[in-house]
Amino acid sequence: MTHAPNVSQVDPALKSELAKKGIAVMKLQELYNWGRRSSIWPMQFGLACCAIEMIATACARYDIDRFGAGLFRASPRQSDLMIVAGTVTKKMAPQVVRLYNQMPEPKYVITMGACSISGGPFKEGYNVLKGIDRYIPVDVHLPGCPPRPEALLHGLMKLQAKIDHQDIEKTEWYQKGLKREFPIPEFGPNGLLPPYNPEVWQPQKRKEITVPA
Amino acid sequence: MFGIGVLKGMAVTFKNFVESYYKKERLTTIEYPEKRLAEKERFRNFPFLIFDEKPEDPRCVACDICAKECPPQCITIVRAQDAQGKPLKKPATFDIDYSICMNCGVCEEVCPFDAIFMDHEFELAEYGRFEDLNYTIDRLLKPKEHFMKIRPTDATRIEAELKKKENAKKAAAEKAAAAAKAKAEAAKTQASQVPDTKPETKPNEPAQPADPPAEAK
Ligand code: SF4
Ligand code: SF4
Repeated sequence: MTHAPNVSQVDPALKSELAKKGIAVMKLQELYNWGRRSSIWPMQFGLACCAIEMIATACARYDIDRFGAGLFRASPRQSDLMIVAGTVTKKMAPQVVRLYNQMPEPKYVITMGACSISGGPFKEGYNVLKGIDRYIPVDVHLPGCPPRPEALLHGLMKLQAKIDHQDIEKTEWYQKGLKREFPIPEFGPNGLLPPYNPEVWQPQKRKEITVPA
Repeated sequence: MFGIGVLKGMAVTFKNFVESYYKKERLTTIEYPEKRLAEKERFRNFPFLIFDEKPEDPRCVACDICAKECPPQCITIVRAQDAQGKPLKKPATFDIDYSICMNCGVCEEVCPFDAIFMDHEFELAEYGRFEDLNYTIDRLLKPKEHFMKIRPTDATRIEAELKKKENAKKAAAEKAAAAAKAKAEAAKTQASQVPDTKPETKPNEPAQPADPPAEAK
């Protein structure tokens, strides 16, 4: 994914000159993005061991509140960010998708840890989803098992950088007729149905490994 | 008097509250992007490959042991081949899928060639999953100085062991070479001596293969 830099059309020299006098000049979009990036409220839910690191990040030592993302909301209706922290079992996946559907737009997802990105150590297991990106779009992938608190902060900074580069006119949630209800998988006799949401995820073609002569 | 205990408790709380604003040991927050905790030497995160002099010659010999032992099977190795299709002792591709790796360190433990070690790098968040988090050999290779920097104790021990092994190998090779030379010389002297030596010296020779050079002098 590439992001076009969000450059202001105001002359930077003039801008800094005005800033010295206490006047901030910016595009509406910059103000909007600044507001968004400085108040990403995560949803308060954890699935496994990564959640412990998430809690550690919220505590005084690392203090995620310095980024404006410290207000863990207990309701999906009030949160902007879903930190999928931990193993997504097939039993839990429908609930995760449902919670994602209940979040108001704009909403972001960080997958924290190997399990939620790809299934990690349980990827060959019968009961673990091989990555939550099969059902919902993911913004930042954060590898590690589990990632340390600083790594989560780094992931959050990456998400902030992504938000900074969003265009207010082109963002999905201001487009006409957008209805983002992701189908909630059913827990059938042979795992989840459907196995993935073709809108957001397609099986990757196996890369042919060629041996260079 | 009733309530004095409550007041005492509140005094302790208030003291702690005030102290939390200026006492150094109470200001625990690490302001992460600007300040960091000092890295612990034994911290381990993701594996990297080590090379001695040139990145074209990694220490890894593509033996595939780590790929077989890796619990979530996230290492893929293809051995390099020369022009005749003969397998070489180095990897052509070496991929570790960081999105699956569980930081267990088994690859480091099982590698018999001390070619793969756990790194301290943790700022690895990416936007994409498949391409961005699949670490290919060019992203995995790091010089041995890097290893020495992040884990000096282990690095010193391992380097010393490697040196010892190399020296032993060299000594053995020298010995073997000397023995071979001696044998060759013995054969030569024997061949040249055969016409003019008496037959009874012959049975002695195989018993002392190291001696002939001295005799030849
Ligand atoms: S890293 Fe070590 S164990 Fe793995 S293939 Fe290379 S030499 Fe073998
Ligand atoms: S650390 Fe563990 S999971 Fe990661 S590559 Fe090595 S053996 Fe595999």
